[in-house]
Amino acid sequence: MIDLHYDVFGNKKLAGPQNKGPEIMITVILVIFALAVLIPLVLPFFFVFKTRLEYNYDPWGLPKAITFDSFRDAWIAVHIGEGFINTLIVCIGAIACTVPIAAMAGYVFARYRNKITEVLFYVILMGYFVPIQMVLIPLARTSAKVGLIDTLPGLFLPMAAFGVPFWTMIYRSFFKDLPGELADAARIDGAGHPGTFFQVMLPLAGPATVLAVLLVFMGAWSDYLLSLIMINNSALFTIQLRVSQFLSAYGVDNMPQYAAAALISAAPTILLYILGYRWILRGTLAGALKG
Amino acid sequence: MSDIANAGVTELGTRKKKKDWNKALFITLMVLPAILALGAFMYYPIEETFRLSLMRSTGLNVPTFNGLKNYISLFNSEEFRAGLLHVFVWAFFSILIQIPLAFFIAFSLVAYKNRVTRPLRAVYYLANVLPSAITAMLGVFLFSGANGIITTLAARLNWVWLAKIDWLGDQNIAFWSVFMMATWTYTGFPIVYLMARIEQIPLEIREAAELDGATGWSYARFIVIPMVTYPIRVLAVLCTVGSLKLFDLPQLMTKGGPGNATKTLGTILYNQGFVNWQYGSAAAVGVIIFLLSLVFTIAQFSWQHKEGSE
Repeated sequence: MIDLHYDVFGNKKLAGPQNKGPEIMITVILVIFALAVLIPLVLPFFFVFKTRLEYNYDPWGLPKAITFDSFRDAWIAVHIGEGFINTLIVCIGAIACTVPIAAMAGYVFARYRNKITEVLFYVILMGYFVPIQMVLIPLARTSAKVGLIDTLPGLFLPMAAFGVPFWTMIYRSFFKDLPGELADAARIDGAGHPGTFFQVMLPLAGPATVLAVLLVFMGAWSDYLLSLIMINNSALFTIQLRVSQFLSAYGVDNMPQYAAAALISAAPTILLYILGYRWILRGTLAGALKG
Repeated sequence: MSDIANAGVTELGTRKKKKDWNKALFITLMVLPAILALGAFMYYPIEETFRLSLMRSTGLNVPTFNGLKNYISLFNSEEFRAGLLHVFVWAFFSILIQIPLAFFIAFSLVAYKNRVTRPLRAVYYLANVLPSAITAMLGVFLFSGANGIITTLAARLNWVWLAKIDWLGDQNIAFWSVFMMATWTYTGFPIVYLMARIEQIPLEIREAAELDGATGWSYARFIVIPMVTYPIRVLAVLCTVGSLKLFDLPQLMTKGGPGNATKTLGTILYNQGFVNWQYGSAAAVGVIIFLLSLVFTIAQFSWQHKEGSE
């Protein structure tokens, strides 16, 4: 069973050990590990405020004057502003194609269970275990034939198809856990099958929808492999493609610019994470704890 | 009299039948988009990949049947054997390093909850949400042999032996540099997952264990680990399937090189399909990835089944 209300920051205080010594030691170790996570993200700040010359002469010295030029140079070199709109369209497209399809299918699999729908559910669920590598070659070839390659829908449609199995499963568990009486009451009040779903049950699945929107967004935002295959026209490059293009075109020759590029590219994700980490963790766990 | 009764029954019957039709139509329309999406973008391409893997298909030529030749030439190529080996070495060390590390952190976070440790869970997961392109960028930033941070720091400290190491350019080291970056980014998920599993252990069990004198790490060893063996197996399968699909980090950090040092099945498929235009051979790599991950997924399900029947 999935508990979407699982409190990842639960305050259930277990009766802790009486001896404080191990606790202090473990706390220090945990802080060191946390620093190991943060250091690669903080380190670029030591290098962005100096010039290339200063870096080459003394990488770890203090800069003579603080300059923000590397941020400007990096912004221009990565073209991240141009990638931003494309990424946003891909994210919205992926959400619009994944979430409603999964919610509809998940509802049927939870509330209209019979032999046929069970079989269909397993047909869809099996898709969850298909590695994307298994479809890349025909996907690229067929998309080229039907003109989907080098278009943003060509990217977000397959992305959505690969997201549907997982979210169908989540919606199915969620609808199963909702009290059936609500749907029955709506039916007695004369609502048809569609009315019951759209007006009563779907709004009740709000928490699942929030999770789906957020995590599909994150997935579409981060995608690299599918974007690499489906998008060759640089006008349609997403942020991740721009980042990889910068990586291969410039490398680390100009370290302050490179550090600035890393910070600029990581900033939106980190900002989103700070704003929504409770939801992100909750959604991840809801998926992982199923079954 | 009986006519009236019959009429009533018939009317009820047709109404019910009509309702069933409505219901069937509703079910069909609700499930159809999902079926169509998977059919078009998953099941049809899967069938095509199987078919292409048995074809000689290069560039614009019309594919011709050539049996298992693609598979045979793959297994005869040093590049593919290196990639296959890397997948299993990668999986082995991911399981050996990431899972115990994650268990240590997860257990400590649950057992030693205090003001300092409580917010750390969010920090550990942060690296996990970063897009792989950005993780790779940070990896090159740290490990680049020419100008990277580790090299310049070692030079500054006059640690010549460390400054000499070419983290991404040395055939024997590049794989481990990529692996370190992967550990940095991928360990967040097992931590959060194991933590949630450990927190699900009922308080009574913990209390009973404490009464029996099992506290701290003996509690972990004798109570917690036996209770999370299934989640640990799930994580081991995820690590293995993850290494089968591994592409982003080696592609972005080292392009599979130097030589074959960081080739994986993922990078080989990409190179065969989208650099060399050897579709048939690339499809064969896809089939191998698919079949291997199928084996591991089925293994996981059979464990899950056992777990349920116990």
